[in-house]
Amino acid sequence: MIRAGRFLLALVALLATLAPAPLPAHELQPGFLELREVGPGRFEVLWKQPLVGGARMQIAPIFPESCRQVGEVRTERVEIAWLSTTRIECAQGLAEKTIAIDGLDAYSTDVLVRVQHADGAVETLVAKPVQPAVTLRGANDAQRGLWAYLYLGIEHILLGLDHLLFVLGLLLIVRDRWTLVKTVTAFTVAHSITLAVATFGVAQVASAPLNAAIALSILFLGPEIVRTWRGQTSFTIRHPWVVAFVFGLLHGFGFASGLAALGLPQGEIPLALLLFNVGVEIGQLAFVLLVILLERSFRILQIHWPQIVERLPGYAVGTLGAFWTIQRVAILLRAVV
Amino acid sequence: MLGALNSAPAHAHLVQTGFGAFYDGLAHVALTPADLLVVIALALLAGQRGTQAARWALFAFPAAWLAGGALGAWIPAEATLPLLTTLTFGIAGALVATDVKLRATVVGVFAIVAGLLHGYVNGATMAPGGAGALALAGAVTAVFCLLAIVSSQVTTLRAAWTRIAVRVAGSWIAAAGVLMLGWLARA
Amino acid sequence: MMRVDRRSTRFAVLLALGLTCSIAWAHEETGQAAGFLTGLVHPISGLDHVLAMVAVGLWGVVLGAPAIWVLPVAFPLVMAFGGLMGLLGFPLPGVEIGIALSAIVLGAMVLFEARPPLWVAALVVAFFAIFHGHAHGRELPEGTSALLYSLGFVIATGLLHGFGILLGVAHRWPIGRQFVRTGGVAIALGGIFFLWRAVT
Repeated sequence: MIRAGRFLLALVALLATLAPAPLPAHELQPGFLELREVGPGRFEVLWKQPLVGGARMQIAPIFPESCRQVGEVRTERVEIAWLSTTRIECAQGLAEKTIAIDGLDAYSTDVLVRVQHADGAVETLVAKPVQPAVTLRGANDAQRGLWAYLYLGIEHILLGLDHLLFVLGLLLIVRDRWTLVKTVTAFTVAHSITLAVATFGVAQVASAPLNAAIALSILFLGPEIVRTWRGQTSFTIRHPWVVAFVFGLLHGFGFASGLAALGLPQGEIPLALLLFNVGVEIGQLAFVLLVILLERSFRILQIHWPQIVERLPGYAVGTLGAFWTIQRVAILLRAVV
Repeated sequence: MLGALNSAPAHAHLVQTGFGAFYDGLAHVALTPADLLVVIALALLAGQRGTQAARWALFAFPAAWLAGGALGAWIPAEATLPLLTTLTFGIAGALVATDVKLRATVVGVFAIVAGLLHGYVNGATMAPGGAGALALAGAVTAVFCLLAIVSSQVTTLRAAWTRIAVRVAGSWIAAAGVLMLGWLARA
Repeated sequence: MMRVDRRSTRFAVLLALGLTCSIAWAHEETGQAAGFLTGLVHPISGLDHVLAMVAVGLWGVVLGAPAIWVLPVAFPLVMAFGGLMGLLGFPLPGVEIGIALSAIVLGAMVLFEARPPLWVAALVVAFFAIFHGHAHGRELPEGTSALLYSLGFVIATGLLHGFGILLGVAHRWPIGRQFVRTGGVAIALGGIFFLWRAVT
């Protein structure tokens, strides 16, 4: 279906690869601050500092003036982060108070702040490098905090260049509108299934082989796109939705690892999962819609791109797929050896 | 420790989506009224004048925007040149409203001038906020996509009332520009 | 492995200061949205304006082509010039009376299905547009974006106009024609009421 002019997307893809951030390994590695109110104004604190290149991320929470630390700070190294626990006492409680994360502006990651109030109400907020402080709302309208997961879902897909490239590859193969609907639906259903399965802990996939497999799924589409250029056909070109479904299962595990890194709290998992998934679908549909609208625009305006430009998006899918496959297999081998 | 927080740049003009510089630049165009209006007005104008004019505008405008933005980031100025940016979208709107039979090349030249100007202001205002090439790329991408989608849709309009609707939209943009000129004169 | 490591954890309980930047930013955003909404709501807040603008749409339908499309295109521009006059400080006496009078005149035009030459119709409407723009164009709330306010103001005016044209579509059928003329009567009566209020 997408034949004419896909030059812009390739440009986006290339620009994004040139970005200074280590994009290919795009798993979200946010910090996590959990506060559980165990008595009036007394909070159990759990503080997770992710590892950056093996070292602990130099960030620290700053509590309001009316709070003071009581008891020891205990710190332990878990798999991919340092966990600290302590207890604080806040004379005026934490409702409508501001908690800042010091040092966050030096990193490109978020910190999830989750507060469980004494009455069981939970609010979840996101501190970002550009806005390293969050203001708690108090117990009354705490549920609104869950919307943070919707935002995180959108963020995950929009910054997940590998997922977007896979979707782009599918769009380049799809020939007609009905197949497009089937393919996008199949991808959505498949990754929703594995996202839920992994989040509820039914099945787990180790991250290194998963990343390699996701990269492979993108590489797989490269030759198929070339076949469409040559007017050849294949199982993938005839039934792209089958491929979308099978590989969608893989990508769902990828989304799940992103969500797991956010530190999902027990008790609000189903709703947070749903919102995160909806966020991912919003971002994905926006991308699909943009590609289709642009393709339609180029057709209406009768823009004839040079062949090299027209084929750039296809090359981008294949080349980046190959690059990531090599890179992630190397990481996998290093982990094994 | 707290100094880091205090010295955070005043994000006067760079929009923070939290999705990274590329999307910040994209959002900056969408949330800066003068930029958004000039893109829409030019898209209406180019679409109204047919596919050839739309093709001209589609390549001239983002390219000029990119050049202007690079210039603005290189030689940042304090000025946001509100008078000039208001004039460009106001004139574009008025051209749409009056349905003047401009030639495609004239539309192209107008696109270059407007693109250079708005791109320059765009680059100059984003650069102090810490935005780099990626933010500019985001802004140009937004401009290109919006221009392509809107102008191509306008070229397909055939029914008389839809052509009128385009002219009415142009008239609204021009009217907002005229009122804005009044505000600028008063300020 | 569990260990206590107080110094390197940087687990500080400190003052939360210096967050004014981000807060100010959040404010600016809401200011922009508020500016647009205020502009959008402004023309609807005065019933005399609403009546006269709907009347312009109705009259456009009565006049038929080309007035029906010349008016919606020209009206916002003329209105903006009225606003520009107000912003630049040109005095315009009797704004309230002028608006009330235009409601009466426009209502009467719809009632009698008057079809004067286009330039006469344009002059009558332009007269009202100037007053309308002058009265409303310059009431900008503190701290909001002037451009978005103006845009909202223009769009709301245009939509009211379109509402009048939509009502006027009924003019094609005999019953609808009576309905449109009754609308003209209502608008003229409303104009008389506002004139009385403006004079006393």
